[in-house]
Amino acid sequence: MGKALTLSRDSLIEFIGRLLENFQVIAPVKNGEKVFFDLISDPYKAVIEYEGHTMLPPKRFFFPEREILFTYELKERDVAIYDKCGELEGLRRVFLGARSCDIEGLKMLDKVLVGEFHDPYYKLRRERTIIIGLACNEPKEYCFCAYTGSGPYPSGGFDLFLTNLGDHYLVDIGSERGEKLVKYNIDLFRTASKSDLEKRDKIIRSVESKIKEQSFPEINTIYEALIKNFNADMWKEYGELCLACGKCNFVCPTCRCFDIFDDPNFDLKSGKRVRVWDSCHFLSFTRVAGGLVFRKERPSRIKQRVYHKYCYSFDEIGSISCTGCGRCIELCPARIDIREIVRRVVEL
Amino acid sequence: MKNPYIPELAVIEETRVEAPGVKTFKLKLRHGGMFTFTPGQFIELSVFGYGEAPFSVSSSPLQKDFFEVTVRKTGMLTSALFELERGNTVGVRGPFGNGWPIEKMKKYSILMIGGGIGIAPLKPVIEYVVANRKDYEEVILLYGAKTPKDIVFKKELEIWREKIDVHLTVDIGDNSWKGRTGVVTILFDEIKVDPKETYSIQCGPPIMMYFVTKKLLELGFPEDRILLSLERLMKCGMGFCGHCMISGKFVCKDGPVFSYSQIKDFLESAI
Repeated sequence: MGKALTLSRDSLIEFIGRLLENFQVIAPVKNGEKVFFDLISDPYKAVIEYEGHTMLPPKRFFFPEREILFTYELKERDVAIYDKCGELEGLRRVFLGARSCDIEGLKMLDKVLVGEFHDPYYKLRRERTIIIGLACNEPKEYCFCAYTGSGPYPSGGFDLFLTNLGDHYLVDIGSERGEKLVKYNIDLFRTASKSDLEKRDKIIRSVESKIKEQSFPEINTIYEALIKNFNADMWKEYGELCLACGKCNFVCPTCRCFDIFDDPNFDLKSGKRVRVWDSCHFLSFTRVAGGLVFRKERPSRIKQRVYHKYCYSFDEIGSISCTGCGRCIELCPARIDIREIVRRVVEL
Repeated sequence: MKNPYIPELAVIEETRVEAPGVKTFKLKLRHGGMFTFTPGQFIELSVFGYGEAPFSVSSSPLQKDFFEVTVRKTGMLTSALFELERGNTVGVRGPFGNGWPIEKMKKYSILMIGGGIGIAPLKPVIEYVVANRKDYEEVILLYGAKTPKDIVFKKELEIWREKIDVHLTVDIGDNSWKGRTGVVTILFDEIKVDPKETYSIQCGPPIMMYFVTKKLLELGFPEDRILLSLERLMKCGMGFCGHCMISGKFVCKDGPVFSYSQIKDFLESAI
């Protein structure tokens, strides 16, 4: 897509300001010491430089932790259903500041939720959200995207992608939509020089080499090793450690398991059908009628997550479903490290 | 874009008590459309205010202006469902899943094994086979219930007996019970099948399916003609919610019917 451009820092702020006139804008913002994605109304609130990635991935803006699928009203011999999807039809959003791993995570979710069947809530939000990515300048110690093929630079999936070159930003165009956005605001952009492009490549290479200071096995060897070692003793160890809290699922950019239930209003005549995130670590996850639980033991549940990410996912979407963002490692209260699990399993 | 989470409304036309804690609900789509399905497929049934749960369709696939589900009362949703009566409205999504290969089984014998409420997903096949009896060779049903009272489809069993070979057993008999007592696998001594020319289809508790499958393998059934309907708590029916995932496959869209040749390669045990 098109040639690369640049934006000065001031122009970027101006650009965000103009976006705010036409779109809802989601951007990284500071909350205490942590950086989160949130809706902004002031372009200066956007934190355009931050280390690694945000605390939570963009997932919840496309697939919220609690979503009302529809509301219902019980009437005399009838039920009225109000589809909540309709409310998303008018959505016009810009998601600003997504890292490469964030974008690749959304692409993995796309393959599940807009695959054989379409999840309309997710699909509408995806279609109606412009993605303006932001290159990672400084990975966190948990980051391993360079090994999972999710970073530091995304293979498409963005409309625009910014790289901070110090005093200005390089802008790569990734779609027609992105190109239009630039065209409408062409006064803010300059043509990128050869040295701008070289600087970008250098930044990407440097992030990549930092990540690769630690080792991680070849993806294909992980698949084979997992198939071979389903009954290995090491799973028991991790089963002992794991608190089955589900945090790793909730901070994961690609975990999408959910539960559906009804939330009746106090009149008991109306209510909502709600979808909430669920976790394969929960005992209730595999419970069926009559109380039988298929994954009763914690090792079987921790395995489900690891196998889904690195093994079953090949069946499902043709690749792993881990972006290497390391959020599950950073936030696990039991300090379980999926990199270590994977390294160990290939050593068995 | 059609929203696959929005149920169609259906009216309860009739409820029938099959056994203590088991009822059949006859449903008709509100908009008057036909309901077509393959035996073995399931629906997501909404009881508004309580949510949604998966149930196998238990009526004949030849019947298209209504359909039935046969439900065992086990939790909140089914308890609420049991309170509903003729004229009440429920929601329906589906049908979902693959179902039994009724076409492929033509010209073959069929050995059906049902345990408890697991006979519900077999009933549409039985109805279909009974209606198209000439298309199939020998057809045998082995059915095990907890007690004589728990035997469901009692009336239908009598009708089926005229066309297919029916064998019953109960775990615990009573004074009136003249039949066999014991788990469903004991019925294998009453039957003669040619494993090379027979499809076996089964649904029941995992422990039953485990022993039945073992028995079928011993008898020499080819692995791809041992078919099982698996149970998981499918929430969405589209492979999204993850609840029914087994070893990379989804019971809701890749199943619920799997062959033994498939499940034996699962990393996790399916039954």
